[in-house]
Amino acid sequence: MDIKRDQRRFKQIVRGRIRDNLRKYITHGEMIGRRGKDLVSIPVPQLDVPRFKFGKNGSGGVGQGDGEVGSPVGKPGQGPQGAGGAGSEPGSGHLMEVEVTLDELAEMLGDELELPRIKPKGNASVEAEKSKYNSVRQTGPESLRHFRRTYLRALKRQISTGVYEPLEPRVIPIKADKQYRSWNDVPIPHVNAAVIYMMDVSGSMTDDQKEIVRTESFWIDAWLGSQYKGVQRRYIIHDAVAKQVDEHTFYHTRESGGTRISSAYRTAAQLIDREFPAELWNIYCFQFSDGDNWGDDNRQAFELLTDRLLPRVNLFCYGQVESPYGSGEFLDSLEKQFAGNETLVLSEIPDKDGIYESIKTFLGKGR
Amino acid sequence: MTLAQKLLAGLQTSLGQTSVALTVDEGAREVNCKALQCEQLAVTVTDLTLETSELAGIDLPRIQAASQALCSRVNYLLEPISPIETDAQGCTVQMRSNPPQQDDNGCRYYELLLRRGGSVALHRYEKQPGKARVRVPAVLTHEVLGRLVDDFSQAVDGI
Repeated sequence: MDIKRDQRRFKQIVRGRIRDNLRKYITHGEMIGRRGKDLVSIPVPQLDVPRFKFGKNGSGGVGQGDGEVGSPVGKPGQGPQGAGGAGSEPGSGHLMEVEVTLDELAEMLGDELELPRIKPKGNASVEAEKSKYNSVRQTGPESLRHFRRTYLRALKRQISTGVYEPLEPRVIPIKADKQYRSWNDVPIPHVNAAVIYMMDVSGSMTDDQKEIVRTESFWIDAWLGSQYKGVQRRYIIHDAVAKQVDEHTFYHTRESGGTRISSAYRTAAQLIDREFPAELWNIYCFQFSDGDNWGDDNRQAFELLTDRLLPRVNLFCYGQVESPYGSGEFLDSLEKQFAGNETLVLSEIPDKDGIYESIKTFLGKGR
Repeated sequence: MTLAQKLLAGLQTSLGQTSVALTVDEGAREVNCKALQCEQLAVTVTDLTLETSELAGIDLPRIQAASQALCSRVNYLLEPISPIETDAQGCTVQMRSNPPQQDDNGCRYYELLLRRGGSVALHRYEKQPGKARVRVPAVLTHEVLGRLVDDFSQAVDGI
């Protein structure tokens, strides 16, 4: 029992340490590479690893070397001092890897950034199949055998055939008596969410900018994943032309084309038309660019936003990531064009340290 | 007289003046130079553009090749220049300082645009921390300015 208590306490300490350093973890994407299916492995520095402490127990060790009968065995700590000293090189530090579930991480993020719980729009009208063990059948694996029903059936059979003797009540099921638990697929109402990530991969977006996008998307994804069951993710990259890609391509592509943001908006609108009817889905769009849109494209982009995207999404977030050439004018233009629009959230991300505030801006609306 | 010689001659007549706008032409080519100040040694240029109808019907690969050639010739500015983005739709190549000049006061860089239609233009931008990016004048000696105009001309010749 004691060791379990100690283990629990150690876990609490570890989680406390993660919470303390969460801001650092949010702004540095090191943990993303350590992501498994449901768990994230986090390196926690400066954490004392539990270890056994040996007591003195008042006795020495086994004597060694030449000795005469009757020579006393030395006591611990009484030997001559060695010539050793502290090493001259700095220690490498002990990095302990701690595994945390994505939901736990999202919860910590929510607490740290004081994020409101998301209120899904509309009704839970999308149905998902879920297996429920709510029926019985006569075949199945032994592990699913229903003992009570099996014995009840055996009892009925024995009584009806006159085999059962009340004075010597012995019920022995035969193969025909055996009953097994079975499942049915039950449709369960589900509130579903679709997240569409869009990124500018034109020549002016460097790997550093993409790393910022990757880190921010990881946290956004963790939060939305904790708020909805069954989040569908789609990825769109664009320069002058947009295309839908998988997650890996999304983060690792670099093109040299010019920036036409309208191309991404058009592809996102088509995707929503095709796969995510707005009345059934909670749709989130997150777009990242350095804001260097080719001048004449703004008008088209704004038309698509106004007519085909903003009316259908819960939230449209635009993050402008500063490139080595500074930030472009797209964010300012959006601000002027859509002043007061509740669905559109804008954020400027000057560097990695800006990720924290940006996530707070994007997800702080609770929509 | 070449375009560069004509422009430099025009600058000589504008020495000591502020808000100078000069236009010189040679055949189908026209150079527009706007400067905040024109001094004996250098000019603070806000806009330098060579416009020509010779670039009207050219295709994207030729524009790209010309931009590469231009970048390799223009190696005497504060930062090296290289093509950053190519807009196939508008048939335009954007070249910028690569890497831009960066210090505690933000970043500064040149931007050259080569467009079908057409024109070659040079501007300089600055982005200070926490402020919006703005176009700033590029301080160029008369000699560098003349050389730039020559190189713009050669870029058009090479297409």
